[in-house]
Amino acid sequence: MVDLSQYLPILIFLAIALGLSAAFVFLPMGVARLTGAHNPDAEKLSEYECGFPAFEDPRSQFDVRFYLVAILFIIFDLEAAFLFPWAVSLDVTGWPGWITMMVFLGELVIGFAYAWKKGALEWE
Amino acid sequence: MDFAASLKLIAPELLMSVSGLVLLLVSAWVGDKASRAISVAAAVVLGACFFLVAPAVCSGASGPDTLAFGGQFSADAFAGLAKLMIFAAGGAALVIAPAFFERFNAMRAEYPVLILFAVLGMSIMVSARDLITLYIGLELNSLAAYVLAAFLRTDDRSAEAGLKYFVLGALASGILLFGMSLTYGFTGTTSFEGIRVALNGEMAMGALFGLIFMLAGLAFKISAVPFHMWTPDVYEGAPTPVTAFFASAPKVAALALTMRVTLEAFGAQDDAWRQIVIFAAIASIVIGALGAIGQSNLKRLLAYSSINNVGFILIGLAAGTPAGASAMLVYLAIYVAMTVGGFVAVLMLKDENGNSVEAIADIAGLSRTRPALAFCLMLVMFSLAGIPPLFGFWGKFVVFQAAVNAGFVALAAIGIAASVIGAFYYIKVVKVMYFDEPADVVKGESDWAHWALLAISALAISPLGYLLTPWLGNLADKAAAVLFLGV
Repeated sequence: MVDLSQYLPILIFLAIALGLSAAFVFLPMGVARLTGAHNPDAEKLSEYECGFPAFEDPRSQFDVRFYLVAILFIIFDLEAAFLFPWAVSLDVTGWPGWITMMVFLGELVIGFAYAWKKGALEWE
Repeated sequence: MDFAASLKLIAPELLMSVSGLVLLLVSAWVGDKASRAISVAAAVVLGACFFLVAPAVCSGASGPDTLAFGGQFSADAFAGLAKLMIFAAGGAALVIAPAFFERFNAMRAEYPVLILFAVLGMSIMVSARDLITLYIGLELNSLAAYVLAAFLRTDDRSAEAGLKYFVLGALASGILLFGMSLTYGFTGTTSFEGIRVALNGEMAMGALFGLIFMLAGLAFKISAVPFHMWTPDVYEGAPTPVTAFFASAPKVAALALTMRVTLEAFGAQDDAWRQIVIFAAIASIVIGALGAIGQSNLKRLLAYSSINNVGFILIGLAAGTPAGASAMLVYLAIYVAMTVGGFVAVLMLKDENGNSVEAIADIAGLSRTRPALAFCLMLVMFSLAGIPPLFGFWGKFVVFQAAVNAGFVALAAIGIAASVIGAFYYIKVVKVMYFDEPADVVKGESDWAHWALLAISALAISPLGYLLTPWLGNLADKAAAVLFLGV
């Protein structure tokens, strides 16, 4: 049987994370209510979501170039996600680990060069 | 671990990745006018890989010498034989594409690059001896395939096919990943060897769920019933050269992968997966045969035919013996020849403006206007139906023989009965071509490359193909034996 008690640190970590994020959400609301002027209107009460209205017909048109930027962002975001564990374990993986990551980065650079040459980064 | 030895074993994959990246840069800088040159270069790369892999297949390579990177990758004879079929099908997809896409003014330099990456992914799939390698290969293949399905991007049907394939493919990948994570959780390893050792004896309920989820994901990739619904739509909507590619190479890769997962990783628990494979086999044969009857489009008909054929191939897997695995490989080789021949013939059906003719009604009386083409299409149809003396019969014969020898007489009997139903629609196509009044729609001419490919496939599936059986059977036996080393 798995000894669950060895996962206690994770549980504590999650509890602290939950507590902190709850505090970050509700503390500003409370402080604002106590210190500032309180006269809400419809615009102020609506959700803020990246500049888009939060609830609207999903079939509305918007520029496909947003997608291109988003896709490129995800690729390089994930690259960073790979780089962190690679960096801290480099003493274990050694030269093979270093070369492998350089090959990976090289491949991403080729993909980036392709996207750049194709004009994926030009807005106009 | 000897790095140099590992790199030498993955030489074909290295060659494909490096040349794929170089060709990608060429396609960006030179542009679409280099499409044909890049196609030729990609075909040369595939040819070179073919000859790099061939020696391992002929010598029946197996054992620790074929394992690269600590057993994550295996360049053995089984993987080699599957790779030879994949390279051949990929090469065919390169040859038939330019003429088709140039009619729509849509030939792009990325097409050969995507084919090359898809083939690379499949080549990693069939060599996988670890769940992680399996997944990387599968995704590399799938991502290239999603783009290829939507390659005619101004065409609604092609875009729809791409979207459908992507959404359902992503779902199947998710199911497969879930199964892999369960398997890893209950066996503590991702290597096929380790999973086999961990599952020797009792199998935990969680590992069983892992196996079922993995089989469900793989069944989607080979379009076995009940995960076949996407096949007719994607095959009909995708550009015909891409459909020819989808129906041949990924089928080989995914079936080879299924064989590795079931026979190598879960080889000690064959009772657990056998029922699923038997169900999928019978259901695929019956639904593939019944579904094809009402079709009026040749590409949809061939899609149902591929579902039907996958069912027959799975009968060999249900047997779970070296003879069954060898029969599957023989069937796959014949299936690739039949599929490529069938789709090349469909590509050559063009009206006077050069547009594709896909409706069965439009090829009425083809034997009088285009006797050679009608004859080749007839050979393909009879071979797919498994009518002797054509070579398609031999594939069905070895599969049924393996099933009967393994004690699955009822399964073989159902398969034979259902193949009679299947024969109906194949013969219907032949009847329309030979006995109906000419519709006089097919008028377009095709270049020599199409004729050459059609002639090669027609020769391979003609009775002359039986000359190959001792040689092909020997190669398949040696390749199949690799999977049973651990027993």
